[in-house]
Amino acid sequence: MVDLALLAKGFATVLSGYNLLALIMGSFMGIIIGAIPGLTATMGIALLVPFTFGMNPITGIVMLLGIYTGAIYGGGIASILIKTPGTPAAAATVFDGYPMAQKGMAGKAIGIATVASGIGGTFTALCLTFFAPILANFALRFSAPEYFALAVFGLSVTVTLAGRSPLKGFISGAVGLLIAMVGLDPIGGFPRFTFGMVELTGGFSFVPMLIGLFALSEGFRQVETILTAPKVKAVLTEILPKLRELKGLSVTFIRSCVIGLIVGITPAIGAETSCFVSYSEAKRTSKHPELFGTGILEGVAAPQTAENASTGGDMLPMLTLGIPGDAATAVLMGALTIHNLQPGPLLFRDHSELVHQIFGGMIVANFMFVILGLTFARFFARVINIDRRCLVPMIFIACMVGSYSINNVLYDLATCVFFGFLGYLMIRYDYPVSPMVLAQILGAMMESNFRRSLVMSRGDPSILVTRPIALTILILAAFTTITAIRRQRRALRAQAGMQ
Amino acid sequence: MAPVSMKKADILVALILVPISLYVFYESGKWPKEALIGAPTLIPWGVATCLLFAAGILLVKALSGRALTLAGKLAGADRRRIIGAALLAGAYVFIVARLGFIITTFFFLLFFGLVLGERRWLNLILFAAVTPVAIYVIFSTILNVPLPPGLFR
Repeated sequence: MVDLALLAKGFATVLSGYNLLALIMGSFMGIIIGAIPGLTATMGIALLVPFTFGMNPITGIVMLLGIYTGAIYGGGIASILIKTPGTPAAAATVFDGYPMAQKGMAGKAIGIATVASGIGGTFTALCLTFFAPILANFALRFSAPEYFALAVFGLSVTVTLAGRSPLKGFISGAVGLLIAMVGLDPIGGFPRFTFGMVELTGGFSFVPMLIGLFALSEGFRQVETILTAPKVKAVLTEILPKLRELKGLSVTFIRSCVIGLIVGITPAIGAETSCFVSYSEAKRTSKHPELFGTGILEGVAAPQTAENASTGGDMLPMLTLGIPGDAATAVLMGALTIHNLQPGPLLFRDHSELVHQIFGGMIVANFMFVILGLTFARFFARVINIDRRCLVPMIFIACMVGSYSINNVLYDLATCVFFGFLGYLMIRYDYPVSPMVLAQILGAMMESNFRRSLVMSRGDPSILVTRPIALTILILAAFTTITAIRRQRRALRAQAGMQ
Repeated sequence: MAPVSMKKADILVALILVPISLYVFYESGKWPKEALIGAPTLIPWGVATCLLFAAGILLVKALSGRALTLAGKLAGADRRRIIGAALLAGAYVFIVARLGFIITTFFFLLFFGLVLGERRWLNLILFAAVTPVAIYVIFSTILNVPLPPGLFR
């Protein structure tokens, strides 16, 4: 159960001087990153992770939480003003957000989007606070076979739900598994796939690789589309929503919060999925579904609530089990690891105070972007017009400097550039990047726990299917994989039929 | 822009994945196999086998005309910008240790601006000059992170 005294202490820590300043800066930067189309929350976190090294762990973490929650919310601003989602998570906000802007209600749309995001994010931050300790306590019973099964479950969801093609998602994940094997064998200690290079004995540098795959690759994509960035022309008035408008949306908020939480908890799917599911449900259950798409408050509130509600859900498996909920939490995991904090149930046992500070940070971060979003809405709207010919080179420099600054070795810089270009090519040719990264984290967990299980059982593999929790998770993994593949084949057949 | 088939790209990827998978079999065959270290070759062989299988399916789909399509081909000015950006980033890695952060970043930003189509020379030179100095000062004094000094060693 959550320790209320520690939670109060956590709030006090987060709201004190330097930590609060870091959180405000993180939220501010996060909203800007989210508002600019092409820059994602994952990219923002990846870019700024190296800059948190010199900070106290909790200061760095709250700054990154500010970026995470702020960027997910900020994507809605561009969706409303220029019909282009700032982040993939804000794609569904376009459907009613832009029509509202066309009717001269851009300010109201942004106000509702801001409050809706705050409600969704705060709800799941509270769920995280109260349920994470329970799940972590249960996970203390897990041993190597259970962690192996969890990793297999995470991998099965990761590769089957990413992108247009399950085959390409599978290839991306398999390559990620191979990349995870580069370095010294975790049990035997002999070198694997190092080609005699000393630099590779520790494997590929994880954070520079993340920066390359998520941030630099987006930089290359921005280079490709640099001439086509649309400009904001709307004038924002009446930003602060009225109380009766919010009361009228209460059912939408509750439903979207639950959808966001459930989608967020499922590994590898996050805000990009929850916004569409929530919008579809809001339309399906509405008394006037024909009004959706014409510019109504419900059409903005539903996706915005769900997308920020996913953030708490995504944090839950990451903090309690060490399984990232999505790409952004995979990068956050990297940040925690850099501060010598290994996510999982032992984090709750050995660093209970820090965990409660993280809970406090998540809750405060969700209030912070609401305050900043409502106060500086007009500024954030103008940020969208920033000249890409200044922004894109800065992204490149930030990626390269950030990668170098981790260990002050050029090898990290080379890793970032290599994976940046590889990530760009992967996105261009429809190979999703997230499975590759998630597979590296989950693959290392899968392999080491598989081998530990065999050592425990003196080579008898039946240990993996005779322990009830492990067997249940493996059955769930198989069921999820088969269902996802069948659903995607149906969708591809339907698409082919329409063409 | 007319959609373009990814057939050639998929065939190339399949042809790259096959030698990678075969190499995994080759190298992992040389590893120790003691039971006490939990069968180290099992998972690499499993992954390499799956990858070979997937490459085979990808190749068959591409050759039988079932490759997915891209929204449009990367060509003309878009392609030149991408190649320019990639070459600049690669050159940066090689040159930064020799010339140092400030000089290398100055030229990087200058040439990158030209690649992106910026022709306002005063703005470009000012941006290229001020940015690396500002970043160097922030990193060296505030964040205490040294950047490559190069010629200023």
